[in-house]
Amino acid sequence: MANFMLRKAEPNDVSDILRMIKELAKYEEMEEQVVLTEKELLEDGFGDHPFYHCFVAEVPKEKQSTDGFTVVAFAMYYFTYDPWIGKLLYLEDFYVMEEFRGFGMGSDILKLLSETAVKTRCSSMHFIVAENNRQSIEFYKRRGACDLSHEEGWRLFAIDKEDLKKMTTI
Amino acid sequence: MKFKIRTAKQEDCKEISRMIMDLAVYEKMPEQVKISHRELERDGFCHNPFFECLVAEVPEEHKSSQGHTTVGYALYFYTYSTWKGPSVFIEDLYVMPEYRGKGIGSGLMAKVAQVGKEKKCVRLQLSVLDWNTPSLDFYVRKGAQDLTASEGWHALRFDGEALDKLAAEAPKD
Repeated sequence: MANFMLRKAEPNDVSDILRMIKELAKYEEMEEQVVLTEKELLEDGFGDHPFYHCFVAEVPKEKQSTDGFTVVAFAMYYFTYDPWIGKLLYLEDFYVMEEFRGFGMGSDILKLLSETAVKTRCSSMHFIVAENNRQSIEFYKRRGACDLSHEEGWRLFAIDKEDLKKMTTI
Repeated sequence: MKFKIRTAKQEDCKEISRMIMDLAVYEKMPEQVKISHRELERDGFCHNPFFECLVAEVPEEHKSSQGHTTVGYALYFYTYSTWKGPSVFIEDLYVMPEYRGKGIGSGLMAKVAQVGKEKKCVRLQLSVLDWNTPSLDFYVRKGAQDLTASEGWHALRFDGEALDKLAAEAPKD
């Protein structure tokens, strides 16, 4: 099965995107952390100032998944900034449904993202991967990715809503 | 010491660029700084800016030993969590060494948190080098959780040749 199409996501795709976000979170063993709704995804991605951009992979109806889906992969990204090198493309989520893996979809999506990065004058494409996700880490390293946490010692930190509120009352 | 935190203007980019280099020297990677104030002016003050910036200023009578009154900055942008929605990412937070311990760092962070709140951000994220104990302590005191330690997240990057190679192989329409 080599028949698939990559395209920019449209507002109608939010239901499929949210479905796959939850599948990816389940794979990352953090399904209960997804609180985002379709409505929020729609407003945040297709409003006046989108917070993200998205590509999806679609298969023809005759190749639909066992559950009847034709949108079978997605990649969500946005632009960030490194004060040392300028614009970056940040890959937030990248997922291919299990039954559609091994057909080159993931590779093609990654290449399309890289082309987007180069066309939009980004110096680099960044993303995070959980260290126990060996399959994904190998996928990226095979293609030349560098592990910055390992090589330069960067650690990712987060401050959640309650602690943010405390800071704003200083 | 009195200080003021305000939104950066395009004219501040030369000062911000100076402090970006200071921070890179502290992080032991000054050779990695490839852009100047010109790129900052273009990318931070265009129609859809790629970042926002706050600066900390002191009055003339407290200027630095080299005559600077802009003594700290916070450079940040908005990201998106597919789990929780819009977030703020603080890319750089820096206060010149002679101005530390006066609440300027906390003031910058509080202002970024406030801006984030106004934009309905649910979280603030940042990266810190594992040996940078003063910064690690500063953020942990404010409630930051080390997600690399607790959840195993690693930061990866494609750049230079690896990026160009991938891009050249992109499927044609």
